[in-house]
Amino acid sequence: MIFRQLKYLLRAAGHNLWNFRGRNLISILIISFSFLVIGVFLALSNNLTYLGQQLSNNLAISFFLKQNLPAKEVEEIKNTIMDSTLIESVIYVSQEEALSRFTANFPELQEIVTNLDSNPFPPSLEARLKDKSISLSAITAFIDHVKRQPGVIDVQFNQDWVQKMESLSRIVKAVGFFLGAILILASFFIISNVVRLNVFARKNEIEIQRLVGATNTFIRIPFLVEGFILGLAGSLLSILILFLLIKIFPLYIGQALGAAEQLLALRPLTLKQMFWLVVGGALTGTLGSVTSVSRFLRV
Amino acid sequence: MIELYHIWKQYQKPHWAISDISLEINTGDFCFITGPSGSGKTTLLRIIFREILPTEGQILIDGVNVLKIPDHKIYKLRRTMGIVFQDFRLMFHQSVFANVAIPLQISGLPDKEIRRRVFNSLRQVNLHHKMWEYPDRLSYGEQQRVAIARAIVNRPRILLADEPTGNLDPELAFEIMSIFKEINEQGATVIIGSHDRELIRHFGHKIFFLQKGKIIGQEVKT
Repeated sequence: MIFRQLKYLLRAAGHNLWNFRGRNLISILIISFSFLVIGVFLALSNNLTYLGQQLSNNLAISFFLKQNLPAKEVEEIKNTIMDSTLIESVIYVSQEEALSRFTANFPELQEIVTNLDSNPFPPSLEARLKDKSISLSAITAFIDHVKRQPGVIDVQFNQDWVQKMESLSRIVKAVGFFLGAILILASFFIISNVVRLNVFARKNEIEIQRLVGATNTFIRIPFLVEGFILGLAGSLLSILILFLLIKIFPLYIGQALGAAEQLLALRPLTLKQMFWLVVGGALTGTLGSVTSVSRFLRV
Repeated sequence: MIELYHIWKQYQKPHWAISDISLEINTGDFCFITGPSGSGKTTLLRIIFREILPTEGQILIDGVNVLKIPDHKIYKLRRTMGIVFQDFRLMFHQSVFANVAIPLQISGLPDKEIRRRVFNSLRQVNLHHKMWEYPDRLSYGEQQRVAIARAIVNRPRILLADEPTGNLDPELAFEIMSIFKEINEQGATVIIGSHDRELIRHFGHKIFFLQKGKIIGQEVKT
């Protein structure tokens, strides 16, 4: 019996969605816009996180050594580095190798180096970290320890860049959620009002249903289904628009941004993010309906 | 059995729409509540199926105090009743079929059974050929018959009808009354608010005369 009633109620919801299609389409567009804003910020934040990861993958600590340091001393410093639990591997970069890396990376500056009498690049030991999530304070303590070794003249470590990128990604995400929350709240009220208009338009029908013995749940379900479908359709549409934006963005706008292109690029949402956007849309729609129908059923 | 004890109803001070009405209607009665327009017939019927609450008084249906039933359980009482409203209360954007089927849909009957019962009800009021029309394309009298078909489709234990033949020609009015009588003979209690003296004279078993919200007389035919 419940299955039959449910079938009838779903059919009723379908009829109502179709009967008030103009109004419903507008609410779907508004919901999709709200979720699109969240989606765009999530895509931006995904990109920044990605860039941060790329940076941290290449993350290494370079310990620059005195020139002509005896091999034994180099080995001692290498052992000191390897003794640390933070380090995965250490490689020795000779002066010649440093020079060849420089000329390969900056060919336009090659002339300056060749004009010099001697090789200006010091030899170095490049240490790779085991885990990218090691705290900065642990790394700093380790660097200070190695720095005290005779023969080490300087240290280069770019973790602050990774952290900057990560915090930028967090900020973008937070701004996205803040704006998104405001817009979701707005769409919540819009859905609630659209459903209220639908309820009002069908006040007569609701009254008849009540007088011939319908329960409040029976009256409420088609409206909840409508809200659910509006929210679901809105969030799915936002994902579709976002997908198109990601495809079109680099073609039309990307190039105009020049160097900032990489920073401002949109990276597709993960499946988990898409799932939560859809769940969020469906929930917003359903809750919007619940509030307005409950208010009307008291009449 | 329907028992009303000292029912008072006031919509607006200082006028009383119903003043101290007490009456008893036995199970299986076929009764009329009659009186001039504004005498309180509609108000009394609306109070019986608890569309409105009386200002004072008590109503018992089969020993259950209707006024004590919580709002969320009132549907149980209404499912045992069939109601023909004076203003029909049809859903104009739904077909005649959907309008008549609604009490059955609410009860969750199988589709096949719904189709069968709706068709039979519409045939009883001679409207089965307009099952898929929309009410706004029907005449006033036809709309009234749709409302009657909806009221009888659920085979109610109590049938309340407010001026059910008000817009019908005498021949059809007679036919409709015969349907009500048939339902009554199957065991249902029928209460009709009407001022059609001819019908009352012909069908009335128990008649309550109302004037200015008071019962001024009662007649029981044997």
